[in-house]
Amino acid sequence: MKRRHILTASAAVCLLMTASLGHAEGWSPERPMTMVIGFAAGGSTDIQGRVLARSLEEYFGQPVNVVNQPGGGGAVALTRFLNVEPDGHTFMFGVQLGLTFSPIVTETEYDIDDFRYAGTLVGGQFGVVARGDAPYQSFEELVAYGRENPMTYAQQLPMDQAIMQLIADQEGIDLAIVPTGGGGGMAPLLLGGEVDFAFSGGTHAQYTPTGEMNVLAFLTRERSPFYPDVPTLVELGYPYAMDDFRSFFLPGGSPDEIVQAFEDAARFAVEHPPFVETTVENTLHPIVFMDAVETEATIREIRAANEALMAN
Amino acid sequence: MDFSAVGAAAAEALTLASFIGIGGGVLLGYIVGVIPGLSRSVAISIAIPMTFYMSPFIAISFLIGLSKGTAAGSAVSAILLNAPGEASSAATSLDGYPMAKNGKPKTALQVGLIASVLGDILATIILIFVAIPFARVALLFGPYEMAAILAFALVFIAGLSGGNIFKGLAAGGLGIFLGTIGLDNQTGLPRLTFGYTELMDGMPLIAVAIGTLALSEMFIQSEKLRYDRENMSVALKKDSSDRITWPIFKTIFPTILRGTGVGTFVGALPGLGPSVGSFMSYGMTVKAAKDPETFGKGNPKGIAASESADNAVIPAALIPLFGLGIPGNVSAALLIGAFAIHGITVGPLLLRDNPELLYSIFAGMILASVIMLVLGWYGLMVFAQITRVPPHVVIPIVIFFCLAGMVLQGYGTFGLVILMAFALLGYLMKKYDYSFVTFLVAFIITPMLELNLRQSIILSRGNWEILLGRPIAMFFIACTAIALIALIIRTFRKEKPLAEVPAD
Repeated sequence: MKRRHILTASAAVCLLMTASLGHAEGWSPERPMTMVIGFAAGGSTDIQGRVLARSLEEYFGQPVNVVNQPGGGGAVALTRFLNVEPDGHTFMFGVQLGLTFSPIVTETEYDIDDFRYAGTLVGGQFGVVARGDAPYQSFEELVAYGRENPMTYAQQLPMDQAIMQLIADQEGIDLAIVPTGGGGGMAPLLLGGEVDFAFSGGTHAQYTPTGEMNVLAFLTRERSPFYPDVPTLVELGYPYAMDDFRSFFLPGGSPDEIVQAFEDAARFAVEHPPFVETTVENTLHPIVFMDAVETEATIREIRAANEALMAN
Repeated sequence: MDFSAVGAAAAEALTLASFIGIGGGVLLGYIVGVIPGLSRSVAISIAIPMTFYMSPFIAISFLIGLSKGTAAGSAVSAILLNAPGEASSAATSLDGYPMAKNGKPKTALQVGLIASVLGDILATIILIFVAIPFARVALLFGPYEMAAILAFALVFIAGLSGGNIFKGLAAGGLGIFLGTIGLDNQTGLPRLTFGYTELMDGMPLIAVAIGTLALSEMFIQSEKLRYDRENMSVALKKDSSDRITWPIFKTIFPTILRGTGVGTFVGALPGLGPSVGSFMSYGMTVKAAKDPETFGKGNPKGIAASESADNAVIPAALIPLFGLGIPGNVSAALLIGAFAIHGITVGPLLLRDNPELLYSIFAGMILASVIMLVLGWYGLMVFAQITRVPPHVVIPIVIFFCLAGMVLQGYGTFGLVILMAFALLGYLMKKYDYSFVTFLVAFIITPMLELNLRQSIILSRGNWEILLGRPIAMFFIACTAIALIALIIRTFRKEKPLAEVPAD
């Protein structure tokens, strides 16, 4: 899997190059566009999406309106997206979990085949964290500690719970798993000493610089560019991974030239400084670019992996 | 305290944008406060969608400014119209209206304004000095403590707001039931969504809040319109002797201090609203006075007692909110929703993770008090005129804002249908005297209560003894049991409720 991690500094020169390319050939929009975001205003997807909309205005030369359709981790927006005209003027900046996870646990009206995928812009950084002053500083030490002591773990998604349960069973750890209702609920539990270790969808970025939290392992397939020394679970010998990317979704039946246009737009945005800076510095997510083909392949791959995991 | 953060906060609070945002909030609140029938929580629930495109600091300060404005504005109609703009100013009209009738309407308004502003500023300062150390120890409040406090708050609200504890518990039970709709927070499986993807995140809070609070209230108001003729408002005349003087201020100042103390104490307890604060303060002032027979006939101390406590409750209700993420009353509960919309989790880590934001909000709150003083002082004449705006003009405008606010949420027609359903529910609850306040607070805190209870049960591994090492949790569990028993006994004796606690 080819992928480029781009951090803030690299972008200025590329901007000049790509800006002049603009919409030189192929499809281009004729009227204002609508970007659908499946989350409420103010969350990280919304913040990234709104800055992305500005970058796209520059790229396409048309105003881009942002519409929030929150609910069900993106499922509400995807359901409504089934009825959208495939003319490229309405598109979604979407979180893949709505496709790779929601259809497994609940009956959705849509599935992967109902949409087209035109390029990935942002990656996730799911990890396992512990307090900075915990008696274990690495995942191996945590496992060794757990063999001797009963442990508690704060989950956020059924998938990370499934992974930790599998590892606990394999290593003989007596593990109690509690729900947290998101990263905002996880931090007080972990820092207050109520739980021994926890899942983090990105909240850790606020606490690792001060040493209050340690990332012990990443659940993603690749290491995070922000924590190059922290291994992934796969590297540690546990064959489980959990990934999520944010990509352009288009209505099913969109012609190839529109998909191509959005792939090029994604290529432009991941090197456009305002979008890159906001994503990396404000929302603490890594920039990850994938083209249309790789995006769809990744979605199917993650879905299959999640299905296998949840079947356990 | 981190002084560089304080400096930055002050700088942020003094930008033009924040002046416009906070000033706009106070002004809007003032107008809402003046108009009888338009209450604070109605205004906040309608205003939350307006804040979507503001920065978090301006959005929150705008909403807090709005709350403060309503508390000050409500005195105007209480004094001139004998109809309090907020239920919490009912005690103000006891002395305010007679004073206005006696030819001193302006003095009465100025006493009300100064008491409001002083109560407000002092309570805000107390909030700052209490909330910061409190937030430092708040991590000691784990899931056991949170679950116990939330259960206590629910029982307390149920008992105080309806009079009949069983009706209160029924309303709370309905709130809890509706609060459980949505994805299970551990397994991710949908509960009671009946296949509607829109319900996966639960009943939309804005629809429930606007429906039960605002829209249903408009139905009630328009119904009243058919039977009630308007009260005549006392007009303000040019009279240079009709103004507040230094001797008057000196006599009311101790009353203001007492009112602020009472208001702050009441506000910091979960579940007690400004109405309890203002009546308690009024009662204590009458008891402490050497001339109790002058009250009810136009004693400025009566106005000062009620208004200072009314305004002090608002900042004080933020102490449990900022410290623990637990709302003190409906307005504070709505603020949790507003924070969430802006991606901020209110709770023990707010001070740690967003100190600039919190300090900016504190600075914004002080600024709001100052703006309130200026607006109230120079705008008295204008606000006095608003008491004359007839309800048949106000009601359609508010209904429009209710619907527009829901559409802004992005739930489409589905949201409007839910909104209408909750407006009907709110109407029936008000008609049959079931506390919609209890219902709404129960609805809002249910996800929190469920989560903390589940965490406690799992972390304790089913072992009750763990509570012995948790004195704070034990204390609140004991309080809950005692409150429940006391309230049941009171219901059976058919005593009068401690105080009416309407929406605040």
